[in-house]
Amino acid sequence: MAIFVKFWGTRGSIPTPGPRTERYGGNTSCVELRAGDAILICDGGTGLRELGEALARRHPAGGMRLHLFFSHPHWDHIQGFPFFGAAYAPSNTLFVYGTAKQDQHIHSLLSGQMKSAYFPVDFEDLGARISPRECGPEPSEIDGVQVTAFAQKHPGGSLGYRFEQEGKVVVYATDIELDQLLEDPSLPERSPQALRVLPEALVNRVRGADLLICDSQYTDAEYPKKVGWGHPRASTAVDLAVQAGVRQLALYHHDPMHSDGEVEKKANLGQTRARQHGSDLTVFAAREGVELKIS
Amino acid sequence: MAVDLEDDESTLVAPVSPRRAVARARAHHLNVTAGPPKLKGLRLKLERDELILGRATDAELFLDAEQLSRQHVRLTRRDGEYTCTDLDSRNGLFLNGLRVHSVVLRDGDQLQLGDVTLVYSEGN
Repeated sequence: MAIFVKFWGTRGSIPTPGPRTERYGGNTSCVELRAGDAILICDGGTGLRELGEALARRHPAGGMRLHLFFSHPHWDHIQGFPFFGAAYAPSNTLFVYGTAKQDQHIHSLLSGQMKSAYFPVDFEDLGARISPRECGPEPSEIDGVQVTAFAQKHPGGSLGYRFEQEGKVVVYATDIELDQLLEDPSLPERSPQALRVLPEALVNRVRGADLLICDSQYTDAEYPKKVGWGHPRASTAVDLAVQAGVRQLALYHHDPMHSDGEVEKKANLGQTRARQHGSDLTVFAAREGVELKIS
Repeated sequence: MAVDLEDDESTLVAPVSPRRAVARARAHHLNVTAGPPKLKGLRLKLERDELILGRATDAELFLDAEQLSRQHVRLTRRDGEYTCTDLDSRNGLFLNGLRVHSVVLRDGDQLQLGDVTLVYSEGN
């Protein structure tokens, strides 16, 4: 059985509509995974709105079970939720997964952004049944898919997710400042082309993925001015994928300042870097409206 | 609905659908840039909401190419945008070199279907 992965929003930080981003898209983080009957959604950035429209077309009678996995509650990962049509249909059930801190569960943060000061419709008025769920470092079986969550380096914390079904593996790892995890933090300046070693625990979370969707916001030139902002060099994401034996790497969470041409350049540099490391990894830039079949 | 081949312009023209009147007024084409010699330079005009492209002679967009599946991809139009979806073809659908299951097409996209390369264009 295949896993279908569709990108509904690939931009980081803030939506960026306009001609400069027409090809890769301006909507913020949202990825849909379908595996058999399971519908799993990674993050609820502004791409979630259009996913909601597509789900309504596919399931006009409603009755959907949807699993929403939030990396963290920063705006660009939750802002689409109030506009998610599936949340308004009484016949639907939404399970939300995210930060495990009980006092700040993603469920309460989602409802918080719908208080009247921010949004005209109250969370309590949403028609769907919306239930908080936990997902941790041990695999959970969710509608036939094994899901594991792992903590990531990001201001305020974030979660990555590993999805497995019948030997197919997709890892979603956005808003992770890989460069603050390097075994040798000064290596990128001393020897930019050298492979940057990342912690084994993280590499193991990603190991053997058929597809790694990874935060790749900055170029090597940009990163030194953005240290601590929670995002890595794209080149370091490539190195993580190489070390973990990943088959395909989707560069994700594109910087809002990057035009389509700059995103493409980042992907080309990433592909070259993988080859220089002797890897047959495929590197590409995640693009809104593209669907992959992992089989 | 019949599809006519305009030999002089190497253009496939599908009848205008009623929805065309309200759809975005853009011309959409697939241009064959590489493949069997008889197909090179062919310009396929997309004017229906749904089209099958393949080697089957009854496909709306029929291309006589050995490495195409009989029904290779489906093109569907929504809100003036075309989505191209692989129909479990033998040789797959590649977007700018990446194997994909489906893609919302953008001007300038290069599609590889077996031994045929097509470039999608919008506008006149």
